[in-house]
Amino acid sequence: MFRGTYSCIARLGLAKTTMDDAARAAGVSRATVYRQFPGGRDELLRETVGWEMTRFFAHLGEELGHASDFAEFLERAIPLARDELVHHDVLQKVLETEPDRLIPLITVEQHRLIEYIAAYFLPMLERDQERGVVRTDADLPRAAEYVARMALSLVASPGRHDLDDPVEVHRLVRRELLGGLLVPARQ
Amino acid sequence: MTTLDLQHTGIQASGTLTSGTVEARATAALLTCVARFGLAKTTIDDLAREAGCSRATLYRYFDSKAAIVRLTVDVEITRVTTAAVDAGLVEPSLGDAIVAVSLQAARDLDGHAALSFLLAHEPESIVSHLTFAEGDRVLVWVGDALAPAFTRWLPEPEAARAGEWIARVLRSYVLMPEPTIDLTDAPTAREFFRALVVPGLGVHDG
Repeated sequence: MFRGTYSCIARLGLAKTTMDDAARAAGVSRATVYRQFPGGRDELLRETVGWEMTRFFAHLGEELGHASDFAEFLERAIPLARDELVHHDVLQKVLETEPDRLIPLITVEQHRLIEYIAAYFLPMLERDQERGVVRTDADLPRAAEYVARMALSLVASPGRHDLDDPVEVHRLVRRELLGGLLVPARQ
Repeated sequence: MTTLDLQHTGIQASGTLTSGTVEARATAALLTCVARFGLAKTTIDDLAREAGCSRATLYRYFDSKAAIVRLTVDVEITRVTTAAVDAGLVEPSLGDAIVAVSLQAARDLDGHAALSFLLAHEPESIVSHLTFAEGDRVLVWVGDALAPAFTRWLPEPEAARAGEWIARVLRSYVLMPEPTIDLTDAPTAREFFRALVVPGLGVHDG
């Protein structure tokens, strides 16, 4: 269903995608779509945006594979995520043509993505804490959420930071992002 | 759909408005009307009535409602960042200044009636300007505006960098839906910033 709806958004944009289009693309009946998404088109579009956001980061995680520690993982993940975001054709097209429709959906779905990314980060932080890289007194669930929020923030809007510069990314990760978490000797 | 346009706003164009001028009355009127019934439903007539001047007078100063919105956004960002810097200036250490600046700004944003209305009922008018490329501009601007609070301890570029990072934290924890931590609560904010934010913003060797 999400795959079908996503293909419609890619083709038609958000405003023009109807429940009928989505049903046809997914190869199911109109009634089935309404049963699955009682909130109608708004719910379907919102859930599809959330689905693609999660899928984007799941794919990124697979691509990154093994990292020796969390800091090293972030140093590779942040520039890669930025690069893939900039080259995400559907996102860039809809951002260009329908920003006022897309961005509120992304914002609403953001908390789900933050939870997802924080859950992905938490075991890495736990492992680093066991190995003495991360402070023993750090509140790891809160830290995982903080790093997830701030990493997403950087990827969406780098601001003054050049994420193509490895020195800058190294500094952002070791100081701004993890400065309160890493054991000082390891910084 | 009415949207805020931050494109033409900037610190250089803003500053604080002299009270009683048409500009000051117009921006105050916009804040009142938006807090009451939102941006889309606010008309030039509403603004004129609220500002206590004629429609013609407003049109002599502004060519559209969008122009009043632009100036108001500009004035409000300047007001909130100025109050935040003032809160930081009296603090004895960089860590204390970071907490004070952040707490002041978090409270001003959270208690901002017009902003709260827009985030709750017309998010499309505001969130587009907080994320992606538009977000870049606002983050850099706010970062530069907060920098003076930290220049006692940090060189200028580092101070602006710290300001931008605080702007990011507030954007994520205060302005986005479903905040998980209440950064308007002083003990909570102090502990959070001390643990996670302050250590990343100090001066380091190398």
